[in-house]
Amino acid sequence: MSSEYFADDLPLNGIKVVETAQGVSGPYAAKLLASLGAEVIKVELPEGDWSRKAPPFLSETNHTESSALYLYNNTGKKSVVLDWRNSEGLHNLENIIKSADVFIEDWDIAARKKWKLKPGFFIEKNPQLIELSITPFGLSGPYSSYKSTPLIQLALGGILNLIGNPEQEPLMLPGHQPDYLTGINGSNSVQIALWDRDLLGEPGKFLELTMLETLANLHQAPLDMDGGIRQRSGHRQSPLSSTGFPPGVCTVSAKDGYVTFGGGSPAIWEQLCLMLGRLDLFENEIFSNVFENPESGLIVDHIMENWMAEKTREEVFKEASSVWMLPVSPVKKVNEILEDKQYASRDAFLNIPHPVAGEAAYPSPTFIVNGQKLKVSRSPMLGEHTKDYLW
Amino acid sequence: MSTVEIIPSGALRHLRIIDLTRVWAGPLGTRTLADFGAEVIKVSDPRMPLSRVGKVNNKLNRNKLNIALRLDKSDGRDVFLDLVSIGDVVIENFRPRVMRNLDITYENLLEVNPNLLMCSMPGFGLTGPYSEYPAFGSTAEAMAGINSMIGYVPNRPLQTGLSYADPVSGLNLVHAILAFVRRRAVTGKGSFIDLALADSPLGTLGEFFVANSATGYEQHPNGNRHSEYAPHGAFRCFGNDQWIAISITNDFQWEQLKDEVNDIRLESPDYDDISGRKVNEEAINRIVEEWTSRKDAGDLMKQLQQKRVPAAKVSNNLDVLNDPHLNRREYFSHFRISEENIEKYDGQAIPGNQKERSKWFPMRDLGEDSNTILVEYLGYSDDKYLSLLEQEVIS
Repeated sequence: MSSEYFADDLPLNGIKVVETAQGVSGPYAAKLLASLGAEVIKVELPEGDWSRKAPPFLSETNHTESSALYLYNNTGKKSVVLDWRNSEGLHNLENIIKSADVFIEDWDIAARKKWKLKPGFFIEKNPQLIELSITPFGLSGPYSSYKSTPLIQLALGGILNLIGNPEQEPLMLPGHQPDYLTGINGSNSVQIALWDRDLLGEPGKFLELTMLETLANLHQAPLDMDGGIRQRSGHRQSPLSSTGFPPGVCTVSAKDGYVTFGGGSPAIWEQLCLMLGRLDLFENEIFSNVFENPESGLIVDHIMENWMAEKTREEVFKEASSVWMLPVSPVKKVNEILEDKQYASRDAFLNIPHPVAGEAAYPSPTFIVNGQKLKVSRSPMLGEHTKDYLW
Repeated sequence: MSTVEIIPSGALRHLRIIDLTRVWAGPLGTRTLADFGAEVIKVSDPRMPLSRVGKVNNKLNRNKLNIALRLDKSDGRDVFLDLVSIGDVVIENFRPRVMRNLDITYENLLEVNPNLLMCSMPGFGLTGPYSEYPAFGSTAEAMAGINSMIGYVPNRPLQTGLSYADPVSGLNLVHAILAFVRRRAVTGKGSFIDLALADSPLGTLGEFFVANSATGYEQHPNGNRHSEYAPHGAFRCFGNDQWIAISITNDFQWEQLKDEVNDIRLESPDYDDISGRKVNEEAINRIVEEWTSRKDAGDLMKQLQQKRVPAAKVSNNLDVLNDPHLNRREYFSHFRISEENIEKYDGQAIPGNQKERSKWFPMRDLGEDSNTILVEYLGYSDDKYLSLLEQEVIS
């Protein structure tokens, strides 16, 4: 495979993106576009993106330039400070956007009303502009003025209800997953509109992306489930339909921590029984559907945990994967992942220095293209590039 | 329904994608491209019928044509190479060994299509010590750190139960394909993309890696508790398995919530600021849940949101399907499956120039488009088509 370098040949070279969006969803979308070669100008209010104030911090003293959340989501961008809440600032923002290809903002209907910003405001001045609006619920509909956080999104999106034990409180995904997923959709939406504009000659457009629709779109099972409710299954994989599947698709303990076993098909169940030396389980009808017969799940959990009691996660992973071809993985912690040899061999992390926050390991763009990872540079300090764009 | 549209619609209508993907991540990605008008040709194994049970296939394989083709037979491989020669993009998510055994590599395919864009998305990617190991979305999420942060207590991790690495990878696939298909259109250069299921969730956990690598910061499973804010969690409501999520992130929201709960025990000055509420989280949660447990989750959401308190009913799959907001925004799509039966499915969350909704179609049957593709697209004679059919190379 050729190892061609992309320095002057990235997909979005020559594309200019302006961002006033804060936090994760809009900034992550723009960060992804920056990794593809776009010039991204992050326009911050004088107090900075709110994520600059979000812990944990990398520096004990400077809490503007060392938030892990900000540092991660703004790599490859330039920071320009201007206060678009006053008329001079808004005029400056208009000027920057006039020469831009893409504008990413997160103004909900209350903010739009307050600042008198109609959805077509910037496109009128720049008809080639692609404006991406990212909000939790959109600019219309019964929830359009609802307040949101990742927990709220996961609840209404039907994801929260699927995680945790059946009788206990439903649980959220860690961190800001709804925002990140929406951010990837943001990049996708912008790229489709750029294709439409640059290859098919369509004009710019206003795009309304919402977090709730993003989550509703990412359910594994069809939402109607033949009229049934998909239940939380604790340490087990949830069923995709009323037919269910055998036990052994679960997160159970080994000598030094937990291991997750994937599956759901009779073939994988047979293979697991072979590995456990218990083909009798495979031949026994009682073990054909763990959701109809929860007791069968507990029995198999116990057999699996006994089988692993003297084995480390790594030993289980290697044996189950290479000898028995089972989809299995150790439950890895963040610090273990940073040291994992598979991830290291694929350059999954980049060490990026920062003048205030110091050096840290950043997940690199997730794919390898023509044998290499795309490069990213550090996130900007507040207003670091103001003088380059305002004079 | 006609296979070939007279006037194709959607931004990606000039793209032809040869889709070898199975299960979830790959089909989700190729479906997204199909929803925007790309002509996605799903290549299926004639020996493995596509199930209509549970509607998963209608959900993930809508808007795609289907050819049933034996890639393991040499005549079938030849048909595949012809198909690749008229395509723009090939996407597959087999384990690396399967593609090697079929002798279908990017280098081979470049011989028939010199500027092909190809993406392989095996569980652990094509390189590295684990690359030959099998992986599912559910195991890849464990590898990437998601499981280690979910649970009720610090030392008992749980899985998401929803194979989280799959949807993240499906969206990342679309991101990568759109980027390098644009570069291909502009420069004429193809590319090869290696996208691993196990790599994708790292990107949505970025802050945890940045923080841990610099300061040793760790987040352990701790229910829905937030590191700073309280109350923050799901509270039991009236009825069976009914819950409301409440997420108080500032003093204003706390005051509003307190007014609604109207319980003297919440008046303690200890609870007036964020750190005080965090310290007394358990006591506050108990009082709040006493109150919520008498209420209907949907009504309570409206009541609290009216007071600008972040609160949401914990919706199950049927609640999402019937959600008034999503329905008002016409998010869902509908397929007429038979005369009397219209089924409701996901729409497309990504806004833009989608394929016209009236032209969306449900999953095609195994080999339903084999004839059209071989005869009309590839110009095979009827005799050649019939002979391939007879030899069970296609169906």
